[in-house]
Amino acid sequence: MKTKAIRRFLLTLVYTALTIALGGCAGDKAGEITSRISIGIPQDIEDSLDPHKAVAAGTEEILFNLYEGLVKPDSEGNLVDALAESHTVEEDGKVYTFRLRNGVKFHDGSLVTAEDVKYSLDRCADTSNGDPLVPAFSAIESVEIVDADTVRVTLKAPDNEFLAYMDAAIIPASNAAPETNPIGTGPYKYVSRSPQENFVIEKFDDYWGTPANIDEITLKVIANSDTIVTSLNGGAVDMFVRVSQAMTEQLSDDYNVLEGTMNLVQAMYLNNARAPFDDVRVRQALCYAVDVQEIMDIISDGKGTKLGSSMFPAFGKYYMEELNDLYPTDPDRAKELLAEAGYPDGFSFKLTVPSNYQQHVDTAQVIAEQLKRIGVTADIELIEWESWLSQVYADRDFDATVVGLDASSLTAPALLSRFVSDAGKNFVNFSSEAYDAAYAGASSTTDDAEKTEYYKECERILAEEAANVYIQDLPCFVALNKKYTGYEFYPLYVQDLAKLKLADGQE
Amino acid sequence: MKYFTKKLAGLLVTLLVVSFLVFIAFAVIPGDPATAMLGTEATEARLEALREELGLNAPLMVRYLRWIRDILQGDFGRSYRYNMPVMSMIGDKLPVTLTLTAISFALIVLISIPLGVACARYAGGVLDHVIVVADQIIMAVPPFFSGILITLVFGLLLHLFVPGGYVSWQQDWLSFLGYMIFPSIAVALPKSAMAVKLLRTAILSETKLDYVRTAYSRGNGTKAVLYRHVLRNALIPVITFLGMALADMVAGSIIVEQVFNIPGLGRILLTSISNRDYPVVQAIIVCIAFLVIVVNFLVDLLYKAVDPRITLE
Amino acid sequence: MKYKKNRNFVTGAALTGVMLLFVLIGAVWTPYDPEAMDRTAKLAGVSFSHLMGCDNFGRDIFSRVLKGSGTTLLTAVGTVGIGTLCGVIVGAFTGYFGGAVDEIFMRINDVLFAFPSILLGLVVISLLGSGNFNVVIALGIAFIPSFARIVRSEFIRCKNMDYVRSARLAGAGHLRIMFVHILPNTVTVLLSSVMIGFNNAVLAEAGMSYLGIGTQPPHASLGRMLSDAQTYLLSSPGYALFPGIVLIWMVLGFSLLAEGLKEG
Repeated sequence: MKTKAIRRFLLTLVYTALTIALGGCAGDKAGEITSRISIGIPQDIEDSLDPHKAVAAGTEEILFNLYEGLVKPDSEGNLVDALAESHTVEEDGKVYTFRLRNGVKFHDGSLVTAEDVKYSLDRCADTSNGDPLVPAFSAIESVEIVDADTVRVTLKAPDNEFLAYMDAAIIPASNAAPETNPIGTGPYKYVSRSPQENFVIEKFDDYWGTPANIDEITLKVIANSDTIVTSLNGGAVDMFVRVSQAMTEQLSDDYNVLEGTMNLVQAMYLNNARAPFDDVRVRQALCYAVDVQEIMDIISDGKGTKLGSSMFPAFGKYYMEELNDLYPTDPDRAKELLAEAGYPDGFSFKLTVPSNYQQHVDTAQVIAEQLKRIGVTADIELIEWESWLSQVYADRDFDATVVGLDASSLTAPALLSRFVSDAGKNFVNFSSEAYDAAYAGASSTTDDAEKTEYYKECERILAEEAANVYIQDLPCFVALNKKYTGYEFYPLYVQDLAKLKLADGQE
Repeated sequence: MKYFTKKLAGLLVTLLVVSFLVFIAFAVIPGDPATAMLGTEATEARLEALREELGLNAPLMVRYLRWIRDILQGDFGRSYRYNMPVMSMIGDKLPVTLTLTAISFALIVLISIPLGVACARYAGGVLDHVIVVADQIIMAVPPFFSGILITLVFGLLLHLFVPGGYVSWQQDWLSFLGYMIFPSIAVALPKSAMAVKLLRTAILSETKLDYVRTAYSRGNGTKAVLYRHVLRNALIPVITFLGMALADMVAGSIIVEQVFNIPGLGRILLTSISNRDYPVVQAIIVCIAFLVIVVNFLVDLLYKAVDPRITLE
Repeated sequence: MKYKKNRNFVTGAALTGVMLLFVLIGAVWTPYDPEAMDRTAKLAGVSFSHLMGCDNFGRDIFSRVLKGSGTTLLTAVGTVGIGTLCGVIVGAFTGYFGGAVDEIFMRINDVLFAFPSILLGLVVISLLGSGNFNVVIALGIAFIPSFARIVRSEFIRCKNMDYVRSARLAGAGHLRIMFVHILPNTVTVLLSSVMIGFNNAVLAEAGMSYLGIGTQPPHASLGRMLSDAQTYLLSSPGYALFPGIVLIWMVLGFSLLAEGLKEG
């Protein structure tokens, strides 16, 4: 009798549990929001919500939907007028005049004025705290309000590529706390956030351009990359950008996998100021030892584009394919170089990798294995992304790291400026007079062909000096639930969420 | 009453010791909070101003007392990384972990008492043997591994829940509870096994005692003796165990949260440890310590209720 | 041999024996280099050439489990070693001498004891930084209180016994009494808690590695493998199951041994 009672009791317990679990699945609450999507992101958007202070690519690609500049890139990478209705460039690129679009509203409902534009640009150029927020803005001589609809930017010296920096976000002068209360003009506006949990944005109804399709987007932080696949297959998130090849094979039929390129330079970045990486022969030896083809075979079934310098194919004329084969895989040559440099028995170093980026962690493991062949030991240390930003990127306290560097615009400086000896973003401490000279040469000329030549010279120096062990432009796999369509790849590290929409037949 | 006040005094002393240890541990380590907040490029004048503002220049004991005062007012300081009050960061994470622990706790009680009793009643029988062996094995399964197995079987194969489909309690508490069931099972399993075993042993040794024989001889039925006399005494070691297991369950919850992608204290603790965001780590440790100590205090009181013979030694 | 009829002890010893053999083999020989990658064998299934299949890098899972169990066991040995050594010293002194120092120590000990060892380990890690060596130290420190507590109560029990009194009368010094006379008498109790310690240390190490704090890739460790395997749960469940089973095996062996010792 007793067992029966116990069994009945246990059954009731299980049923209650199931009812609660299933009850949770029942429909959404009624409200204005009719369409929503949940997108997984590998790290919290935490370095700053202030568009001028954010440096992490993962933050910038999301803020792209919240903020806009006078101009912004389209899906081909061309700069098109955004908050400016039109612009003119005079005196070889010394004076830029923007005519503002009428009736553009901020998310708080106020109109964008010439004062807001001047405020934003001045804020980026402000030097009172050391470097300006946007380093390139140190080239600005003045920002003037010509009339209520016109703003003129004058540079200290002509630079016909400067328009690319005019995508800096325009924010309202009245906003006292852009770090916690982001107000922009983009197709989506900020709703709420919960640290290490989610970031919610919703459609901005008064958007000046083509409005967004999906009403509410929840960006869910999935910092444990091992749970990405289960979250997708289980249906907890509908989309994840940049899943690995291995993950795509684990996805259920509910998903489309879209393939593009990540548009970044994945490399083993070396701290050029730290022994033994201060010796060019050691750096070259590593280049000879690393077999890029094997990396691509193992982590993405051979997909990916091999790179030889800090430039990727989306840049067209600047990309130099010939540099890719500068260091054919050759362990013997690598050992010779190591011996010459005084390390006949190899050495060991610490390879610091952000743990949330599965592709970089995987690549690092393959590299560590390949380096064993020349007697070099790479001790991998996985750290959280936030620690990577402060320890490796800001404090430059590292031996080597595997990450991908992206470009904020399709101009060569976006990738090359950081390697100038005294550049604030030069976290690898690369130092070469020839490079500085070539880069300065490119900045001082306005002739396009000559400029291109100088930039190519820069790339060549990076490759020959083996500033870093260049690997690849990773293939980008986007997992998107079949309920949605409209994903567009950009040649930049950008997620244009406004283009996403429900697939036909979905309410 | 004297028992109560003495225990309460002990509780307060313990809390003070914990808070002091935690404070000292994080105060002596190298690293400057001001630099952590402003970045390495900040000027010395601004750093100094911030240090002054944060009260970092005061002597250690003064800082400790201030820290305690602030905590009593519900202020755990500001996170270095997020630059927001720690309280608002962990405020909505704490209930998540607590719920997970609480449900697991309830599950342990619900699973182990009936099973333990059943085992003892039919000691030596097939059911007993099966449970004893299964028990021993389940005890050896780490919660994160059972979590992985549960994800595979109930999530991916049977579709009984959505792995990673966590819903926050502010949004919809029913779905929230629903999602918590399976992670709780993962946390509760090894502890339940332990509790079943303890209860079984306790009941069996209790039934050999004189008073039980007396009860039988007075003509009481098996059931009556079991529930009225034996169970009451046999529960004492189980209560002790549950009190001690609580700490482990909080730890188990923190790991299991990672398996099920639950944004509780675990995630934020791990990132904060990695970021050396000490105010957050300190706050979480103090909260957990507080919880563990208070529950142990309650267990002591519960003891007293179950068995009036217990006095303070 | 009084343990002969003790079923827990025998089963535990057998399981642990097989495990130790497994680990020893792994220390000197593995079928493949546990870190060598093979692009043609990615996620290969179970076969004669790969007894447990391959992981997403084409590394042999069997070899990795062999090596990984060694890492886990070694960490456990280090952890329990530190815990026992420091625990015995603290417990012996506080138990033997008693007094105010004992009060303070035990108050602190009570607090630490109430704390989950993984959490305590995490706090130490946040001070020391991650890495395998630091995990041993961190967990070792976290294990001190439980050993200290046991040794202390044993010393309190023993310090007024006749043999101690007679040793004192015979002119033995305090240290001699503590470590030559009393300590050997606590061995049975200590041994059983050492086994429980192993049990907990193995679980704690696996937990830490699972969280990404212990063993760093590409080195094999059971916890790490379990965490990596989650991505491939549906297609290659063996990737998660085999390391998991070995882990359970190890823990089961130690816990049965501990019980056997207690009963024996």
